[in-house]
Amino acid sequence: MKEEKIQSILILLGSFFMVGFCLLPFIYMLVTSFSSSPDYLSSKVSFGFTFNNYRSVLGTDSLHFMQYLRNSLLISAISAFFCVFIASLGAYSITRLNLPHKMGFLFFILAISMFPQVCLISYLFKLMTSLGWINTYFALILPYIAWILPLCLWILASYFAQIPAELDKAALIDGCTPWQVLYKIILPVSRPGIFSTALLAFIFAFNEFLFSLILTSDHNARTIPVGIALFQGLHGEIPWGNIMAASIIAVIPILLIIIMFQKNIIQGLTRGAVKG
Amino acid sequence: MNKELRSPLLFIAPVLTFILIFILLPVIGTVVTSLYKDITYLDNKFIFFENYRQIFQDPGFWQSLRFTMFFILVSIPLEMLLGLIFAILIDQEVPYKGFLRVCILIPWAIPAAISSRTWELIYNYNYGLANFICSFTGISVQPVNWLGTSLGAFFSLVLADVWKTTPFIAIILLTGLQIIPGEIYLQAQVDRANFLQRFFKITLPLLKPVFIVALLFRTIDGLRIFDIIYILTHGGPGGATASLSHYSYKYFLAGDFGYGSAVSTTLFIISFLLSLVYLKFGKFQNTLS
Repeated sequence: MKEEKIQSILILLGSFFMVGFCLLPFIYMLVTSFSSSPDYLSSKVSFGFTFNNYRSVLGTDSLHFMQYLRNSLLISAISAFFCVFIASLGAYSITRLNLPHKMGFLFFILAISMFPQVCLISYLFKLMTSLGWINTYFALILPYIAWILPLCLWILASYFAQIPAELDKAALIDGCTPWQVLYKIILPVSRPGIFSTALLAFIFAFNEFLFSLILTSDHNARTIPVGIALFQGLHGEIPWGNIMAASIIAVIPILLIIIMFQKNIIQGLTRGAVKG
Repeated sequence: MNKELRSPLLFIAPVLTFILIFILLPVIGTVVTSLYKDITYLDNKFIFFENYRQIFQDPGFWQSLRFTMFFILVSIPLEMLLGLIFAILIDQEVPYKGFLRVCILIPWAIPAAISSRTWELIYNYNYGLANFICSFTGISVQPVNWLGTSLGAFFSLVLADVWKTTPFIAIILLTGLQIIPGEIYLQAQVDRANFLQRFFKITLPLLKPVFIVALLFRTIDGLRIFDIIYILTHGGPGGATASLSHYSYKYFLAGDFGYGSAVSTTLFIISFLLSLVYLKFGKFQNTLS
């Protein structure tokens, strides 16, 4: 009995520490976004509660924050959609269609997901420049799809492998084509898995930084992480209030996804994360 | 082509096309470029291994390699330890389990570039949170120059990286905890093993395979660190925190594609060798069964 008590106290203390550790920078971001002077922690300066930071971020068109956010949301959503679609074709081929050397193939894909991004940027920059696609959505969506594919392929393959094989064998005997089996049986049955994979793909695309830094040049295609990273004040002083307010607005979609779909995300990560 | 082979290849073709055009060809292109003198506005010239010869004599490269290795050596053990503790916490059946799991996902899901801006403010010399906590708790009377000194910048980056990546490790380790059969613990309880004994005699040994996979994955991932360095220190002060990714990025930015590619290729070779070890240790074939 005594031991159980010690254990539950430890768990409670640990949980407090963990929550504090995970949330502290976020809370600081949130609090500072409502302050009129970001130096409120040094003595002599008052906090000065205000909505002005949000007002200027949302209302000043020349800051382009909302445009960056829109670019990010669209690019991430489109990339996630096509990535999951292409990956589900591939995962179907690997788990159901007797693709030769499928383990070798999966290992190859896994090795690819380990490549450092910096090895790709000079070629991608030259490629996109020669196509005239620099600073367009294409320049980001296409590399994003390729970059997130290995992860999606692994997660979907592990979901598809769990569907009983009898299900599609019966359909094949009934004369369905492989495409119909995928479309009518595999995809509907693994809908939760596909949804989790799409959420992860979205978050990964939304997080991406280096490609966006290299392949975009202004608000027409630049994503919000790069927009916030490159935001400097006009007069030498960094406008922390604005940056923190913009950060909060930018992470709201991500927070909503986490809060609503925490179970799906953890399930998807535990399926695919270990594998890369 | 025979019919047996046609549909599997057809279904895998889009995956292959994307990976070929946007990942494999770029890497090959980078390796080829590394053999050239390729500087913007100058004629390309094939110089074979000259760039690599220069790399070996370049103190900036060695400094960058040393920093990257030190960074991995310091941050990853911290992340593994903290990740293990967090994994055990989010594995508990407590009423606030959902809340804990939402909290742990937050550092992982916020783009590193965005959270790094907040870290930048936290480390601000005059009014940042870090110096406020230091003076409030009496740890340090003088404000600490977090980002302006090599040691300060190093540990600032370590903390920001630990914050960002520990949740991911915790979730991987959670997988390992969940596959340990509950009966083993029940038996241990019957045998009156206390929770420390249960942890060291059961949890830790059975978690070892997943632990190794997480460790290797993070090592490869840590090698390519870029975002937080780009924002927090720009590789400074004086190149003290330039990771290999950041070091080669600087050459690309300056238009020296040949040398930048040679640095990238070196990084690529290091991480490729490590991923071979990773593939050997991970029991990935189990995914499909």
